[in-house]
Amino acid sequence: MDLDRSLVSGSMALLVLKLLEERDLYGYEMMETLRARSDDTFHLKAGTLYPLLHGLEEKGLVTAYEREAAAGKPRRYYHLTDQGRCALTEKEASWQRYARAMHRVLKGGACCAGA
Amino acid sequence: MPERETIQAWLETAAAQIRWRRARPVLTRELAHHLEDQRDAFAAEGRENAEALAVEEMGDPVSVGAELDRIHRPDPQWGPLALSLILAAAGAVLRVHLTAGWTYDRADPARAALAVVLGSVALLAGYLLDFSALGRRPGALYLGTLAVCLAMTAHCPRIAGVSYAARYAALWLPVVYACWACARRRGGWSGLALTAAGIIPPAMVCLLIPYTFALLALLLTAALLLFSAARHDWFGLGRRKTACAAAAFAAAAAAPMAAVFLRGRRLAAALHPELDPLGGGYTALTIRQALSSARWLGEGDWTGAASPDPYPLVPNCASDAFLTTLICKLGWLPFLAVVLTFALLAAWLLRRRARHQSQLGRAVVLAATVVLCLQALCSAAWSLGFTLLGASFPLVVGNWSTVMNLGLIGLALSVFREERIARDAPCSVLPRWRVRISIQRVS
Repeated sequence: MDLDRSLVSGSMALLVLKLLEERDLYGYEMMETLRARSDDTFHLKAGTLYPLLHGLEEKGLVTAYEREAAAGKPRRYYHLTDQGRCALTEKEASWQRYARAMHRVLKGGACCAGA
Repeated sequence: MPERETIQAWLETAAAQIRWRRARPVLTRELAHHLEDQRDAFAAEGRENAEALAVEEMGDPVSVGAELDRIHRPDPQWGPLALSLILAAAGAVLRVHLTAGWTYDRADPARAALAVVLGSVALLAGYLLDFSALGRRPGALYLGTLAVCLAMTAHCPRIAGVSYAARYAALWLPVVYACWACARRRGGWSGLALTAAGIIPPAMVCLLIPYTFALLALLLTAALLLFSAARHDWFGLGRRKTACAAAAFAAAAAAPMAAVFLRGRRLAAALHPELDPLGGGYTALTIRQALSSARWLGEGDWTGAASPDPYPLVPNCASDAFLTTLICKLGWLPFLAVVLTFALLAAWLLRRRARHQSQLGRAVVLAATVVLCLQALCSAAWSLGFTLLGASFPLVVGNWSTVMNLGLIGLALSVFREERIARDAPCSVLPRWRVRISIQRVS
């Protein structure tokens, strides 16, 4: 089943920061990792990824450096900064709150219980 | 394959949306690598039209390019540009105003104004220069600058055995050396050896001019660059080994400088001028004597004579000791204002450098800042009666030195202007030696 893209687009920064929390990655590697981990659910267009990465770099959440990838080709790796780590914690917390609230509403929980 | 489905066409369309021309090749290189990876992945899966599929995966080139254009713009440095120009203009006005009544070494208003105009051109030229171009041909830049300095030393007129024209050109030697050293990165032991040996030709040029200040600035820049190289492991030898090499270099560089300062009792004369009041300590003593009558604001009784001309009471009071003139004629507060304004500019440069990503950019700013700060330090010390090494206070004293210093500031600002697209050449993380195993079919 195809996922509604609007559900994913708002959380892209969170997903990218989360991937970079583990290790430094370059763009293509990031897309492939995301695709594999989400069982092909998050199929991100590269045209969306790079402006997002450059925007995160401008905000100081990630830094980038070039080095040779395993195949010997030069690639631009992204690294999560301390500021990015703090932003990730905040984004994760707000996502958890959102997901819990969404789950309660969809389940007909707290808000409907008293009705 | 239709042209619009090729990687090249996609990249060209995306690049066309980016208005900052210098950013185009930098930004599209990453996208090109991604497209190639995607194409190779599709090809490995055995899919037909791998390139067209990769292009389709990438999305709309116009919207990608427009988004990158929105993010990547030059970062204008209006504040430091304005501050530099104000300081240079204030310096010219002070030089003309404070020396107006002198019969000797009076500042020419036309020349001072021309220096500010030429300096503004140099500032803008440096600011608009693509600083990364300095790192593309470091060998040519290095040899070219040495050749220019040597030609000026040989052919320009000398005053008391000193080639002053070559002195101004020599102010750029630390920056040129920084570009040379930066290009030796990833060179292993040979890179380190070439970086250390690269200091010898410009140092020899400084001795030929002769220009002790440029020699000191050059050696200090080289030592600081080597310590910075150790921190970032430029040569791939490990931080500790490079740090040891940097320490050895600093010790070796300190020896000739110590010899220069101890020769002729220059250090002793600067620290204890009273021991040789009519020889090496004369300048320091007269400066200290003049300063003793200075006020916080307003003119002090500094000449001790009816003549408005301070010569020969304070030697070089229009050049190296100009700040003494400033203190004596306007007071300590204007002196502090000038020095603190420059200190603010230098501190800002160093702070921005610390945040900068590109190693070439950091090296260039370090070299430029060392030259500027060392001039300021030597000039301020000289003007306060510690006459160890004479120099013009940056942007305030001297015509040609103002032009050169504004050019150096412009170059440093160009590094920050292009910060968003500053990229270093990729660093290899692979071992220097690899084992290749090939399997061949024996028929």
